[in-house]
Amino acid sequence: MNTVDEILDFAIEREQEAADFYADLARRAEKGGMKSVLLGFAEEEQRHKAKLLAVKDGQGELTPHQEVIDLKIVDYLVEVEPGVDISFQDALIHAMKREKAAFELYTDMAAKVTDATLREVCRGLAKEESRHKLYFESEYDERVLRDN
Amino acid sequence: MNLKDLLSPFYVWQRAFEKPLTSLRPIEERPGAPRYRGFHINEVGTCVGCGTCKLICQNHAIDMVEVEGLEPRGGDSGLRPRFDYGRCCWCALCVDICPTSSLRMSNQYAWLTDDPDEFRFVAGVDAKSWNAHELGYRRDKDYHLVPTKRLEMPMVPPGEGLKSFDEVVKGYSAEQAKLEADRCIECGICVATCPAHMEVPDYIRTVREGDLEEGLRILYRTNPFSATCGRICTHRCEEVCPVGAQGDPLAIRWLKRYIVDQVPLADYRRILGDEIPTESGKKVAIIGAGPGGMSAAYYLRKRGHAVTVYETQQKGGGMLRYGVPSYRLPDDQLDKDIDYIVSLGVEVKYGTKVGVDVQFTELLEGFDAVYIGTGVNVPTKMRVNGEDHPRVLSGPQVLSDVAKGKDPGVGKNIAVIGGGNVAMDCARVSRRLGAEVTILYRRRIEDMPADSEEIHESQAEGCRIVQRAIPVEILRAESDAQVTIKWGEAEMVPDPKGGRPRPVLQEDRVHEDTFDSIISAIGQAGDYGFIPVAERDKLEIKWGKLLPRDYQHTTLEKVFVGGDIANDVADAISAIEDGHHAARGIHQLLAGTAEAGVERKP
Repeated sequence: MNTVDEILDFAIEREQEAADFYADLARRAEKGGMKSVLLGFAEEEQRHKAKLLAVKDGQGELTPHQEVIDLKIVDYLVEVEPGVDISFQDALIHAMKREKAAFELYTDMAAKVTDATLREVCRGLAKEESRHKLYFESEYDERVLRDN
Repeated sequence: MNLKDLLSPFYVWQRAFEKPLTSLRPIEERPGAPRYRGFHINEVGTCVGCGTCKLICQNHAIDMVEVEGLEPRGGDSGLRPRFDYGRCCWCALCVDICPTSSLRMSNQYAWLTDDPDEFRFVAGVDAKSWNAHELGYRRDKDYHLVPTKRLEMPMVPPGEGLKSFDEVVKGYSAEQAKLEADRCIECGICVATCPAHMEVPDYIRTVREGDLEEGLRILYRTNPFSATCGRICTHRCEEVCPVGAQGDPLAIRWLKRYIVDQVPLADYRRILGDEIPTESGKKVAIIGAGPGGMSAAYYLRKRGHAVTVYETQQKGGGMLRYGVPSYRLPDDQLDKDIDYIVSLGVEVKYGTKVGVDVQFTELLEGFDAVYIGTGVNVPTKMRVNGEDHPRVLSGPQVLSDVAKGKDPGVGKNIAVIGGGNVAMDCARVSRRLGAEVTILYRRRIEDMPADSEEIHESQAEGCRIVQRAIPVEILRAESDAQVTIKWGEAEMVPDPKGGRPRPVLQEDRVHEDTFDSIISAIGQAGDYGFIPVAERDKLEIKWGKLLPRDYQHTTLEKVFVGGDIANDVADAISAIEDGHHAARGIHQLLAGTAEAGVERKP
């Protein structure tokens, strides 16, 4: 990936993959209420994709230097298997892990590229992913850890 | 008679050519005395619109009116006093009774205007020249028409309480109850706040007047679990009681308990006059004999419908029996509430699990309506590494074991994870079983969702609370009979969206502690496994909760829902109201009087 557009296309594709993943899991989910939860996650990923498309079209911008809180909730939770019997709690854990992996990927890319512009784009994407992680961590904190 | 006396009548003429004292020629004001009872000022932000000023006014000079642009917070009626100076005598009783001291008087006493309507004004809202006056009459801070201290509740001392599971709160005597009831200002702010909208001032009045049979009738109009709620209600009514603004709120919960405690169960039928009307020929199935399900059963049975309750456990009450320890709610008091409901002809099939012993679809086919009140009974896991260690116990399971007379085997030195009522109950139960207890909580004490009394009593009974402690991992201890928890200290960071502060783990401050057991009590979720997939997919479930529409109706035609599985509050009084509300909806559906369930309940 040598251009800004290539990097953005890669990121957009990943958001679409995530949206497809959740939509597919929603179709197969068996636990009560999980279809709507997973479809909600798919919509969230579509929103992320839409934002990146807007950046690519010059209608929006990445904000690599904006502060995003890291709640670190996902750091000490177990890995979960996203199967048809996934629970609400595990779906949120999976989503947090996924966003964290994406954050780490873009952070690595930023460290490896030499071009300053591309580095800023990678950092901006990493920041976006940390923002997505914060969204899911906040949901987990509010809805799963209510008594804790 | 001297010359002056002779001339004095003629002095009047010098005034004849002066203009009268009107708005065009106001008098020269002399300042009022510093504590003069002049025109009213109301601190609108402090006022809660309780209307006590209106009640006490002997001249009917005060109305409570809506104020445009005022967004009332919880415990605020949204109304504010409007004064009519055609009636006011400036006696200041309104100021003296005002529980929040929002109302006072300026020392301004002269007011001229062409428009007589201006003499009716909303103090503190309508712009008046005296609104910023500091001088004038206000109630001395130590002077109260209503006593600010509540009658102390006789309690078993913490040390004694730990020796048994006997009830800790002893209850008021008749004299104490009447004195406490005397503190009620009958504002009714509590009614709006109570999820069941219990008629609090009315039943408190019966305590004052000694008419407890009438008190029981008033209680049962909105709550058939009054013996229970008189003990363990979350009493949000007390949180908003205006009397508490400058002292202790009224002991509403204990007064409710006082009424019920004085009336034996054998007298209930005669007092309540619950004669079952002609059988309607309609049948309703209720899943779960918790407070919501049994509340629905009571109000449906009173309307002549045949009610069958399906309960997995061997006794009714749900979490009230298997989640609330007997030192807070003795079994006989819960039995009193349930036995009365059952005595009206409600059939309860104990030990019958829907989805196992009887299928959900059978209920749909065999009954005219179904109410789901199964509660939340699947413990939320911490989801940290090592959690499947055999010495990690589930909080609800510990409480259930104790309720059934089993020893949960917690050991002598334990940790409880969580800050809700289940966590506090686990901690206090473990103390009674002889354990040293450490409560690890991710946030601060002030963030704990448990009742403040539970937190306070836990501490009084010797439980140690470690705040801002995040469980990170469960490890094997040297002995298999023990377990080690790795936990980290947290720093609280502000929530960017303005919610409660969020804890963030500090990796450089991680500790390991070993216990005989760790009780995980961080929450519970609903279980929908008893509903076949075809029906489940038609239900609207969001964030793990089954969403009710109007009258607790679900998206399935015959099915209603209430209690913890449907509301976020997850307390008994909300479940009771859900059951009552659903009973109205089910009755409408069965009687064909209205179509329940179009708009979602806000």
